[in-house]
Amino acid sequence: MNRREFLQCAALISAGATVVPRGWALSQDQTRYLAARPPYIDQATPAFFTTAQRADVRAMADLIIPRTDTPGALDAGADRFIELMVSDWFNEAEQRHFMAGLARIIERSGGDFAALPPAQQLTLLEALESESADANWYAPFSTMRVWDDSAPFICQLKELAVLGFTLSEVGATQFLRSNPMGALNGSLPLGPDDPAYDKESMLRSFAQEASQ
Amino acid sequence: MSETQFDAIVVGSGISGGWAAKELTEKGLKVLVLDRGSMIRHGVDYLGEHAEAWKLPFYGMPNRERAASDYPIQSKSYAFSDATIQFFNNDRQNPYLRNEDKPFNWIRADVVGGRSLLWGRQVYRWSEQDFRANETDGHGIPWPVGYADIAPWYSHVERFIGVSGEAEGFEHLPDSEFLPAMDYYAVENTIKQRVRKKLPDIPITMGRVAILTQEHNGRAPCHYCGPCQRGCSTGSYFSSQSSTLPAAQATGNMTLMSDQLVERLVHDDTGRRITGVNAVNTLTGERTTYTAKLVFLCASTLASTQLMLNSRSELHPNGLSNRSGALGHYLMDHLAISHTGVLVDDVDTYYQGNRPNAMYIPRFRNVGGQDADADFVRGYGYQSPMLRPDWEFAFNRKGFGASYKDALLRPSPYWVWALRAFVECLPRADNRVYLDAAKTDRFGMPLLATEFTWGDNERALVQDSAVQAQKILRAAGAVYSLIADGSKLDEGGDGVHEMGTARMGNDPATSVLNAHNQAHEIDNLFVTDGSFMTSASCVNPSLTYMAFTARACDYAVKQLAAGKLT
Repeated sequence: MNRREFLQCAALISAGATVVPRGWALSQDQTRYLAARPPYIDQATPAFFTTAQRADVRAMADLIIPRTDTPGALDAGADRFIELMVSDWFNEAEQRHFMAGLARIIERSGGDFAALPPAQQLTLLEALESESADANWYAPFSTMRVWDDSAPFICQLKELAVLGFTLSEVGATQFLRSNPMGALNGSLPLGPDDPAYDKESMLRSFAQEASQ
Repeated sequence: MSETQFDAIVVGSGISGGWAAKELTEKGLKVLVLDRGSMIRHGVDYLGEHAEAWKLPFYGMPNRERAASDYPIQSKSYAFSDATIQFFNNDRQNPYLRNEDKPFNWIRADVVGGRSLLWGRQVYRWSEQDFRANETDGHGIPWPVGYADIAPWYSHVERFIGVSGEAEGFEHLPDSEFLPAMDYYAVENTIKQRVRKKLPDIPITMGRVAILTQEHNGRAPCHYCGPCQRGCSTGSYFSSQSSTLPAAQATGNMTLMSDQLVERLVHDDTGRRITGVNAVNTLTGERTTYTAKLVFLCASTLASTQLMLNSRSELHPNGLSNRSGALGHYLMDHLAISHTGVLVDDVDTYYQGNRPNAMYIPRFRNVGGQDADADFVRGYGYQSPMLRPDWEFAFNRKGFGASYKDALLRPSPYWVWALRAFVECLPRADNRVYLDAAKTDRFGMPLLATEFTWGDNERALVQDSAVQAQKILRAAGAVYSLIADGSKLDEGGDGVHEMGTARMGNDPATSVLNAHNQAHEIDNLFVTDGSFMTSASCVNPSLTYMAFTARACDYAVKQLAAGKLT
């Protein structure tokens, strides 16, 4: 136990805490260097969804990005990413919006989305999507913003699943690929099946200013 | 002459302060460098370097709650993220006053090295046309310096920092001392040839950038990881940490202190000589007065002016060296606006490495004289990044399952080319900063208040940039273009090229500093950050700050040796 962990424990004990709070016990190096940290989704899952909601979101993420000849959303932990984002990144209004949408689709599924056969699950998602067809979320080049808080639930769910997949370690390295750095070559042949590179930073972050 | 602790004190350690430290120590002076920010050690303290997206909180999605509470201004910068937050000013702890009707966004670092860690690294020489602009069209006051005065200092700086780029021989954008240029993408070569054929008067060149393409002065070439602003432990881009501070350290003549906020400069009873630099330790609140024969203010444009205003006295009732009343006025920035086009050429090519640079289209309007069809003066250049879209542009489609997933996999079958015009801003008295004595920061220092608006000339330049961008995109073969109409403009400061407010000039009645960055009214005070700028040109300013700093150091040391500063 390093000094920092010791102090954390001491603080917990003196506060009479009986439950270790969510988050990592990080080593000093991990505290300092982002690159030394474990993946973001490896922290304990927040208890934000109920067990049933968590199973339903898992089923939806699996339908959005299934495992094919490459790993899928669940292999990449995208379901955990979704819950972390809804719990920790969304503001209260966004949480209400998302959870209301989740409640509606669960209700339409008869109360247990995960228990439905996959074909019926897909029919439900497609129905939601066709009801949302005129949302601005689908407009070309509309993704250069931090977050579309007015987008329908189904759009937000898809977006979180995509982010949780493509930005994950599994998605970035086993679906997309890492940019072979070290040298610059401006004219590299691109084969028809060659994946895009993973991201060093998202373009949407350039839109922070416009969103404020 | 009274005893002093140091030969020189440099306030600030960013682009300008680092250069002042290097030049003065190499000339044998004992130099104290004070920075209000915390210490950042080269390599060791670049906490976000090379962190993959999946290790960042929220996978790198911006922390909006913290941005709103502590970084409402800084988070407007593209460079602001969890991987760079340690470099930025905490707006809640260190506020300034922003006029909502005349907004100015003050993007600032709060670390040793300052914005040299965060800058865009684009470097362009000014030309004689830039230095003559004010006297030619009558806006602002004439520069007391011409290209011939500063050219050798540009070379001096470039040989040290390392600048990659292409020698073009443009008269209005003089070549630097270049390392090899960065590689073009195949699609960029294609459109460059097309534009050359159809618009021969609008040449395209590779961006000139203070990033090494080969080993230089013991620093390694770029490894093309991409986000330079996280810090570069191989020192491949120029920063104070990678270059000037180590050089100053090597002389044995530098004392560098972090966490020292300079509150006030104190002068002798003649008013012509600074005798003390009053600083507060931002961690302990302890106050110290440092003394030296020379003081170089390099605290950044607005911070240096704030300090000069706050140092007002009986002999300098409106702030130091401000008999002219110009101190705080003539604030400028560059107004940037993006026009984009879609290209479907060379889509079977990609690139290796993240190139931290883009093509550049130098100013082509009002070059060598006023264009007949121009209802504006001056001009703009386009920084023009080429982007290969991917899932980030493609996920907002209908569908689920394998086909939806498949659409996320490959680079999109097109390129997006952004022509980002950087528009020259005219010096206007009503763009200004001043102290609001009624409001003070946690150390009791009056807050700096800002007022900034764009003028008609900037708006006209923006309009013209749209017309010309349409023309260039058509010549390049764009199949689709999106031209900004200028109805929504960036706010002042968003260009992060704030300059002016302590301008130089020959006439003490209209300027604060003389041709050597020396205060007209105080012999041993030199100001060499962006505040000295008398006009703005349309090119990125940092190289010019460095060259003027080196030149001012040379002058100051000679004056000191001649006994003229005592």
